[in-house]
Amino acid sequence: MNLVQQIESEFKLYEHQAQKDDFFEYRKKAFQTFQKNGIPTIKNEEWKYTNLSKISEIGFQTSCISNLDADALVKAGILNKIESNKIVFVNGCLFPELSVWLEDEPSIICTNLAKARKEHAAIFETHFGKYLPQEEGLNAMNSALMSDGAFIYVPAGKRMKYPLMLTNITDANESNILQQPRNLIVIEKSAAATVIENYIAVGDNSSFTNVVNEIFVDENASLEHYKVQRAKGDSYHNNYTQIVQNANTNINQVTLTLDGQWVRNNLHFNMNGENCNSLLYGLYIPDGQQFVDNHSRVDHAKPNCFSDEKYKGILKDKSVAVFNGKIMVHLDAQKTNAYQRNQNILLSNDATVNTKPQLEIFADDVKCTHGATIGQLDEEPMFYLRSRGISENEARKLLLNAFADDIAEKIKIPELVQILEEEIERKL
Amino acid sequence: MLKIENLKASIEGKSILNGINLDIKPGEVHAIMGPNGAGKSTLSAVLAGRNDYEVTEGVVDFLGKDLLDMSPEDRAREGLFLAFQYPIEIPGVSTTNFLKTAINEKRKYLGLEPMEATDFLKFMRSKMEEMEMDKSLTSRSLNEGFSGGEKKRNEVFQMAMLEPKLAILDETDSGLDIDALRLVSAGVNKLRNPDRSFLVITHYQRLLDYIVPDFVHVLYKGRIVKSGDASLAKELEVKGYDWIKQEVEAAV
Ligand SMILES: Nc1ncnc2c1ncn2[C@@H]1O[C@H](COP(=O)(O)OP(=O)(O)OP(=O)(O)O)[C@@H](O)[C@H]1O
Ligand SMILES: [Mg+2]
Repeated sequence: MNLVQQIESEFKLYEHQAQKDDFFEYRKKAFQTFQKNGIPTIKNEEWKYTNLSKISEIGFQTSCISNLDADALVKAGILNKIESNKIVFVNGCLFPELSVWLEDEPSIICTNLAKARKEHAAIFETHFGKYLPQEEGLNAMNSALMSDGAFIYVPAGKRMKYPLMLTNITDANESNILQQPRNLIVIEKSAAATVIENYIAVGDNSSFTNVVNEIFVDENASLEHYKVQRAKGDSYHNNYTQIVQNANTNINQVTLTLDGQWVRNNLHFNMNGENCNSLLYGLYIPDGQQFVDNHSRVDHAKPNCFSDEKYKGILKDKSVAVFNGKIMVHLDAQKTNAYQRNQNILLSNDATVNTKPQLEIFADDVKCTHGATIGQLDEEPMFYLRSRGISENEARKLLLNAFADDIAEKIKIPELVQILEEEIERKL
Repeated sequence: MLKIENLKASIEGKSILNGINLDIKPGEVHAIMGPNGAGKSTLSAVLAGRNDYEVTEGVVDFLGKDLLDMSPEDRAREGLFLAFQYPIEIPGVSTTNFLKTAINEKRKYLGLEPMEATDFLKFMRSKMEEMEMDKSLTSRSLNEGFSGGEKKRNEVFQMAMLEPKLAILDETDSGLDIDALRLVSAGVNKLRNPDRSFLVITHYQRLLDYIVPDFVHVLYKGRIVKSGDASLAKELEVKGYDWIKQEVEAAV
């Protein structure tokens, strides 16, 4: 059964249940969109280099079942070094034994979606499903048959004292797994939070994780958002993160893609107020036959906003990377400052990068730059270092670390920087 | 120490070194002068192991080993050091980390244990004092945002740290202010000893007032066309290169 057939048959099963969940109407509409739009193909400009056809044919199962106990899951890499609030999902289902809550402030909430819909209905209804572009086939697929996910809510004026780590573990020991996590993050006026999305995988079978994040950041609030992709093995991962920010907000977003056979990150910022500050940074280090695609879009809809985007890649072996960054400066968005760079180092002749930085400007008083580079490690610095007695290998490492540090230093959690440095060491 | 015989090198089919002969004994200071484009930097790059140049003929013996057969890093570990005419900036690589790696890679090559972190820092601090290197320079990325003169001083500081047997200084004096020139020369003189040799490339007699050479050579069109003692530099200062060029053309 291919993926489309599977979604159709699963949705039928769901529809025929006597007791449907609270999301029925939403799911049904999304399913209709999915039936209409299907899974994107390479004929779609946004998916030109990103082929889903192989994934569609693998054949997955949706299953909460995991025989792993808490210890095994912790060992799989829950980033325990970081003192943080934790919520953990395994194959899309909440794993409450691993939750950790350190905040004293009772009005800050972190729970799963199903519960949030019942217990925090007002806030939930205000935001859930309100921001996501549903016409994207994979988004509709998520909305139709989403598994569970996290609901994170920081009310006006409150700040989380600790980062919140949202870990998703794929356990593909028993079968090929399909999961569709769905997270909703609401940061109200003048509130602040740090969220780490952490993806890991165990088991030899294949998996497809199709995530949707809806993030709403209200006036004067700030958000630190990190995504760490370390799901090893034959794992396929699509992630759509929709961020809506109101006036005077600060958002720092860092996407680190280390493992995964196939990873597509879609990141969409909608700057919906003046004086917004949006930082988008990313680092990807694919090797073997890994495929990594970072698609981003920043909508400067209002005046006086600043965005800075920098994605850097180090590619080994036969890996392939795609970068597509679109900055849209709308008619109203005077005094926009927008910067975008994509820089790639190819360590092998067989590695490939397709990069497309895009700038569309409809306002006239703006400052915007964009650019992309693809190349080998420079000869000049290599020779300089070697002429001081440093081996070719060490020289390469020093230079690549320097290249990557540029992104690492955007991370404000020292333990996470340290973990990243270990990962870079491992990958290089 | 270093014996160059009939060294010829070219780049992209264009021959630049046309048969260089030079013999540097332990403890000696040799100066090389010569007009722009003569091949001075090419000679130093070929000796340091830059692979853009193709060596078409000749042999170079360094302390009994075939220099041209070694990788750039092994040449450095054997005791060769080149202070670049145009040191490059390497953003993101800290000077401290770079020097520690360089010293420990050399120690490893020589079969020694790596230097303890505290010993290294002590050593570095003493060399910084000696070379009057400001702490704000070494705490930055390698040469990043350094002024021209600061880069040159950083080269000499690195030389002091790495304690080479043969140091090639490619126009280290160009771009230095008077105080820095004195400092750099003093640094070099401090390192002079019966086992250490220098090859000093310069356009100016002034440097050779501070670092008095045992021999002065004139490089022209990829050949050493004249050699003498320190007085040759003084003569060039007064007369320029024309008379030498004429001598060369006349001999052809
Ligand atoms: N990469 C290269 N490609 C082509 N020609 C080169 C290259 N590098 C050097 N040359 C040429 O080789 C010749 C020697 O250059 P070199 O830099 O060695 O001169 P130099 O004696 O150091 O001059 P200066 O006093 O100006 O530093 C010059 O004519 C230069 O243009
Ligand atoms: Mg030169």
